[in-house]
Amino acid sequence: MEVIRIWILIRPDAASALEDPKVLSALPRYVDVVKNRRTAKFQISRMVPVDYSDDSPTEELWMVHERALVKEAELEKSLDHGKVKIGDLKPPQRSLLHLKHLIGRRILESCVLCERRCMKNRLRGELGYCKVGEETKVSSYFEHMGEEPEVVPSFTVYGSRHSSVGRPS
Amino acid sequence: MGCNFRCIHCQNWGISQQFEEGSVIPQKELAMLIDIARRGGCRNQNWVGGDPIPHIPFWLGVLLHEKENTPVFFNTNGHYSQETSELLRGVVDLYKIDFKYGSDRCAERISDAPRYWETVTRNLRSAKRYGELLIRVLVLPGHLDCCLYRILKFISEELGKGTRVNLMDQYAPHWRAGEAPELSKRLTPSEWRRAVAMAEDAGLTNVTM
Repeated sequence: MEVIRIWILIRPDAASALEDPKVLSALPRYVDVVKNRRTAKFQISRMVPVDYSDDSPTEELWMVHERALVKEAELEKSLDHGKVKIGDLKPPQRSLLHLKHLIGRRILESCVLCERRCMKNRLRGELGYCKVGEETKVSSYFEHMGEEPEVVPSFTVYGSRHSSVGRPS
Repeated sequence: MGCNFRCIHCQNWGISQQFEEGSVIPQKELAMLIDIARRGGCRNQNWVGGDPIPHIPFWLGVLLHEKENTPVFFNTNGHYSQETSELLRGVVDLYKIDFKYGSDRCAERISDAPRYWETVTRNLRSAKRYGELLIRVLVLPGHLDCCLYRILKFISEELGKGTRVNLMDQYAPHWRAGEAPELSKRLTPSEWRRAVAMAEDAGLTNVTM
């Protein structure tokens, strides 16, 4: 609660931003999620059961992913319309979010996350053009007050690049 | 730190291009911190790098452990692959994309970014389709005709006049900006007035400044 009291003093514009008609017209669902009236998308993806095995070829995983996205969109609609309550759902052992995580790790073997597609094998310790290797280090995290009024306070985490950059390897 | 661009005018160069040691925080622990922040009144979780693109698999792993209803605010330069766009779909609630260039030549010269226009406009369209979108436009001195005009026109015609745009005048010649003559100074008041007029002419109705 400490956070709230202080930020209203720093950013009085942020306090009223969620009622601003221009924010509401452009970002209605986001505002509802902030107010806990609707469910954040990742929590919905966590409720979509998927069937795959860890050693399936990547193309197959993408096909399962595509089908699961359709199911997620349907579930989001049911939740948004109040036909289903998130609290009544039980998270499956393997969900769409798990599958996304697995595919994300696969991409690191020949990295094409950004459009540069440098295809470095980050799982084997190679660094991409971005100088990030296998693991993300966190250089800091804090309640960010310097974003747009509808966004703050925003819990911001700074991912960092590999620590051996600049040292002879 | 950890960015897929090399903007010579990087406005956050102290954290994006410099060497700074981070620490490995277990994903479960980070998830707990985010849950606590949300209960304490934070509105969202904001993933930053440099750019968050190289860290997406890590973040997906963090999300798996989060219990609270914390919207994901994806704060990016928008230069991600189609594969990444699919991974973000159904996870990101609010995309904030920095729309920087209207010309591939400027993007390559200033940020070393290949296929800029095609990539970022594709991702803007998909962000609008699968989530909600906030666009940040930092007006660069000397880039009104080659970049800003085309950026605003695209937003208005392809994404809608009501798209939420943050038009920013605070460009400062940081980092190696001196390497490009037009970027070695601040925006002039007359350039800023022209930028605002361009946004009005484009018919945009949801611009904050």
